[in-house]
Amino acid sequence: MTPRWTATGLSQDLPKAVAVAGYGHGHDLAVWRSATGRLQAWNDRCPHRGMRLSHGFVRGETLACIYHGWVYGTEGGCKHIPAHPALTPPTTITVTAFACVEQDGVIWVAPADMAGSPPAISGMQPLRSISLTCGVADVLAAEPTLSGQDVLRGLVQIGGQTCGVCLVVQDSPAGLTLHVLCGLGADKVAASRWVEDLRRRAEAKGAA
Amino acid sequence: MIRLYDYVLSASCYKVRLMAALVGVKMDHEAVDFHPGRAHKSVAFAQLNPAGTLPVMVDGAMILTESTAILVYLAKLAGPQWLGPDDAKAAAQVQQWLSFSGRLAASLGMARLHDMLLYQGDIDAWRKDGHAALRELEAALTERRFAGGEWLVGDAPSIADIACFPNVALSQDGGVSLDAYPSVRLWTRRIRALDRFIEMPGIHRLHELSPAPKVA
Amino acid sequence: MIAAEVLNEWYPVAMAAQIRAGQRRVTQLLGQTITVDCQEGAIVVIGQGGALHVTEAYGHVWACPGTPAHDLFPIPEASEPGRRLVDVGVVRVKCSPLRAVENFLDIAHFPFVHTDVLGAEPHTEVNRYEVQIREDSDEVWATKVTFYQPQAAKSSEGGIVTQYMYRVAAPTAAVLYKTCPNRTDAWDVIGIFVQPLSEELCDVWPWMALYDDVSPQAELIAFQQMIFLQDRSILENQIPRLLPLDPGMEIPTQADLTSIAYRRWLKKRGLTYGAQMVAA
Repeated sequence: MTPRWTATGLSQDLPKAVAVAGYGHGHDLAVWRSATGRLQAWNDRCPHRGMRLSHGFVRGETLACIYHGWVYGTEGGCKHIPAHPALTPPTTITVTAFACVEQDGVIWVAPADMAGSPPAISGMQPLRSISLTCGVADVLAAEPTLSGQDVLRGLVQIGGQTCGVCLVVQDSPAGLTLHVLCGLGADKVAASRWVEDLRRRAEAKGAA
Repeated sequence: MIRLYDYVLSASCYKVRLMAALVGVKMDHEAVDFHPGRAHKSVAFAQLNPAGTLPVMVDGAMILTESTAILVYLAKLAGPQWLGPDDAKAAAQVQQWLSFSGRLAASLGMARLHDMLLYQGDIDAWRKDGHAALRELEAALTERRFAGGEWLVGDAPSIADIACFPNVALSQDGGVSLDAYPSVRLWTRRIRALDRFIEMPGIHRLHELSPAPKVA
Repeated sequence: MIAAEVLNEWYPVAMAAQIRAGQRRVTQLLGQTITVDCQEGAIVVIGQGGALHVTEAYGHVWACPGTPAHDLFPIPEASEPGRRLVDVGVVRVKCSPLRAVENFLDIAHFPFVHTDVLGAEPHTEVNRYEVQIREDSDEVWATKVTFYQPQAAKSSEGGIVTQYMYRVAAPTAAVLYKTCPNRTDAWDVIGIFVQPLSEELCDVWPWMALYDDVSPQAELIAFQQMIFLQDRSILENQIPRLLPLDPGMEIPTQADLTSIAYRRWLKKRGLTYGAQMVAA
């Protein structure tokens, strides 16, 4: 697989001090934001007993596992093991981190040594993320004005106006997710309803 | 004292327990052996509630069934702001969400009972209906967010939010993940962070809300 | 092919009272469909190859798909006069049966998963305890286990140190002994009997033998179900699903001595159903 940036969510859906589940590059991810807003994307697995870190809790600049409360700092090393409060955890206890940046309101992930930046999306505002039970081909068939591969772009009719949209494709074993951005002047409610309609039409294509 | 016939794992009973905690109403809990005993279906229980369902609330001579009805009662009694704004539109929207909460129980709730307690039924249909309902909830909450709103109706949490919350927050118990519904997830977090919020099994405490203990 | 060592063990498959009341239970055991019902007063378990060995104990029906290597383990407390025996009721979990047992043996999670019930921050330290594999019974035992449990929800004053013993009595059955609040000379006994439907799906049958003349049955059941259901979303989100028996993938500490012994014991005895051997 050629290393490239893939989207795992929108910045607006990850407030400070929250961890969520994400996906990228064949891995389930724990994507989290510290109390000061620093973003991390880690392998979604605590090295202790394999519990998903995306279920964990953020305090300050650390993410703790919900199972036994093991605390990890932003660089991925274990800082504290509650069962042994006086112990300095061995430096070997770490979580694998992925490269993670936010750009244009989108959270992008890539392998840790990834060079370069994610694809630029200018002149757009983040709208919402939406999951579909069909494939990208069905989306393109339902909306032929869209084109692209990893990022679908086009001009569509929203609320009686022509509007630019950008749909960033995220494929995972759970299915297809589109992270949708729209033109800066767009009516977001109308755009959101357009996205719902697109999904219905695309899924109908997929089911046909 | 108000008595609640209760089952610790019931999402519907939890709606009532949660509401009572949020508005500060103390209740006497009478545990009913829902599983494995199926006591709610017994002849003895039918004297209290012929429908054989939980929760049942008894206040003096009044016996009240249906969790959403009990939410209305508790709100009227101790927290009328929880009924939502007083205008026609808001009142109707609250009713719409109370009805919607029934769909969540009939889909996500049943999937949970199937996966956890071996209830028999069309699990694929329950999960499919559950996802359909979650999509509607996601769309509605997303539109509320565009307007700067955080709750289903109005600018404050209401019985609409409490009625819908349990089956949504417990959806993974029935094999329905909330990963695909970011607005829904943010809304469940907001509810879990409310003052006087109480958990139930399957909904963890938000440890992030308490500070890290000082290491002795 | 499932190893003979696995087939020759006893597994819970039903609640005896429910089968005697007329229920016919169709379920899975180690990936095979079985039926459990009562025929002419006797409980019978039938699989694809015919009848399985059956025994009834601790409120549950136990079946052995192979040839039993030994009798079902004893729990003498179950027949002590004055004990309340509680069948807590089945809960299904999408996890390895071995993960379910290992979680039952663990105490370090109490403050985070059973918050304000079995434990609370900052009382997270796990004191040293002792673990042995008892040669005579070939069981894993953890003794002198202590954990600080606050009495009041938010207060750290007035807490008590609860004493525990843990026992792995069969590959998918464990028993915990807990200091009894009502008597100084006896333990309360809580069992977890895990039915492996497949390597990644199990039916968990909790059971208790307590000294408690006061609490209604429904409350005792509710409390134990509450504790177990708090663990369920943890169990369904551990990766890999199969319990790793080789070191390397998971990192135990001193607090995990019982789990380390359990995994070593499973590996030594060839009880690898629900486990994986190669560290990823």
